[in-house]
Amino acid sequence: MGVGAIGAAIGEGYTAAEANLAISRNTKSAGDIFKSMLIGQAIAESASIFALVIAMILLFTKFSATSYVTVCAIFAAGLSMGFGAIGSGIGAGFPAGAACTGMSRQPALSGKLTTNMLIGSAVCQTPSIFALVVSFILIFTDFSGYPVSPGCAAVLGAGLAIGLGAIGSGIGGGVVAESSCNGIARQPLTITPVTNVMLLGQAIAQTPAILGLLISFILIYKGFPATDSIAPSMALLGAGICMGVGAIGPGIGEGIASSGGVKAIARNQEVVGVITRSMLVGMAVAESTAIYSMVIALVMIFVA
Amino acid sequence: MHELGRIHQLIIPFMGREIIFNIEAMLMTWIVITGLLFFGFFATRKASRLPGSVQILGEIFVKMIYDLTKDALGERSKTYAPLICALFMFLLTCNWIGLFPHLHEPTKDLNTPLSLGIMGFFIAHYAGIRAKGIGAYLKEYCEPIFLMAPLNVIGELAKVVSISFRLFGNIMGGSIIILVVSYLTYSIMLPPFLNFFFVIFIGAIQAFVFTMLTLVYISVQVN
Repeated sequence: MGVGAIGAAIGEGYTAAEANLAISRNTKSAGDIFKSMLIGQAIAESASIFALVIAMILLFTKFSATSYVTVCAIFAAGLSMGFGAIGSGIGAGFPAGAACTGMSRQPALSGKLTTNMLIGSAVCQTPSIFALVVSFILIFTDFSGYPVSPGCAAVLGAGLAIGLGAIGSGIGGGVVAESSCNGIARQPLTITPVTNVMLLGQAIAQTPAILGLLISFILIYKGFPATDSIAPSMALLGAGICMGVGAIGPGIGEGIASSGGVKAIARNQEVVGVITRSMLVGMAVAESTAIYSMVIALVMIFVA
Repeated sequence: MHELGRIHQLIIPFMGREIIFNIEAMLMTWIVITGLLFFGFFATRKASRLPGSVQILGEIFVKMIYDLTKDALGERSKTYAPLICALFMFLLTCNWIGLFPHLHEPTKDLNTPLSLGIMGFFIAHYAGIRAKGIGAYLKEYCEPIFLMAPLNVIGELAKVVSISFRLFGNIMGGSIIILVVSYLTYSIMLPPFLNFFFVIFIGAIQAFVFTMLTLVYISVQVN
């Protein structure tokens, strides 16, 4: 919860700062800007609300802690949601800020900008929704039959894989949505291609988080034989950390790549096809590091 | 709360192995298909120059998707537009069916998105081979150097995983959040808003994203 609140706080702070700048630039449309700021902040906050829900459940449910694995799973649920909320919180702040700036430039566009901002920041929440799903699975699955030795490490690794992995994708999605709001404010006619490419870019920027989700599911559901040696446990924990940390960079990088694509389309919408294809190729290359870390994580899970 | 993660399964032993049917997902899929067939029937039944309300809905819909495919595929769009249109209609209805009591989204079961993702994968690669020829198609895997070929193949497979888990994770996550929050607040106040956001809004966006990604994968292979 604490960690999750950091992201939301940064995101909301950014939005509020942009809104103040925007109001100072164009005092007439202060009402619209204020409304949009509130909506944007509410969405940026939803990531931390997810974290709050998890924290409430952890606080108010009576766990009959039967085994170490269950205890580890509950801890991992907290980790997963806490880290997972950072990225989406920061990310959702960007489009809200850009929408406020855009409204101060083009007050007539506030309706369209708000719609675009809503879509963009809703898609930003996807990584934190993934983290939430893993947290719920970790809390409500019955782990009593799991062996202690690799089991603890497996659930901790699962929490870390999606928690850390969601940071990059959340921020990346936010960067894309920000430049799409900027682009629409500059050139309102391009709203359809810009929104389409924004959705596409955000969806692909989420791939690292999805790979993290896959590794988490494998770690939770595979079922590992009990051992006394410490090496398999460390390998499973390492797989989670490898996937999680490895997904941060590609998430942000893909976000930057597709934000460039969105900006270019907002300037020159004649060349949507070419820009989209070169953007996709660039993102595929940026993504390859996430795929390397997934391969390493899979090797650690299945070979070690 | 105990409904979380429960799957209704029919398990039939067959030749020493077990065949598993997820009854609920199959039933819901058939409900969606029936609904879409009725929609198609009523939209085209009395097709006239002065369209009725159902026909106009269908026309707007088809026009929108055909324009999108035209942007992405150019003159090849005639071949793939019906596929993309059907995919979007199916996914949208699948994601929205959870609004009705006692009905569940078939996309909440990983099998549905995964099979649609695999279908899109095969169609995209078949389209690529047909457009470029098998030699040029295989050569693309050996770029920049042929040592990268295994990683390129894994990259292609990761696309299937990402496209299907994205849909599955969003719909599943939405339904879990609705369930848990309704349980915590005793279904007072919040559930309608949550349903609006997670089912209607996120459902429509994710159906669109899945369709667009399938379209873009085809267009990357073709061009």
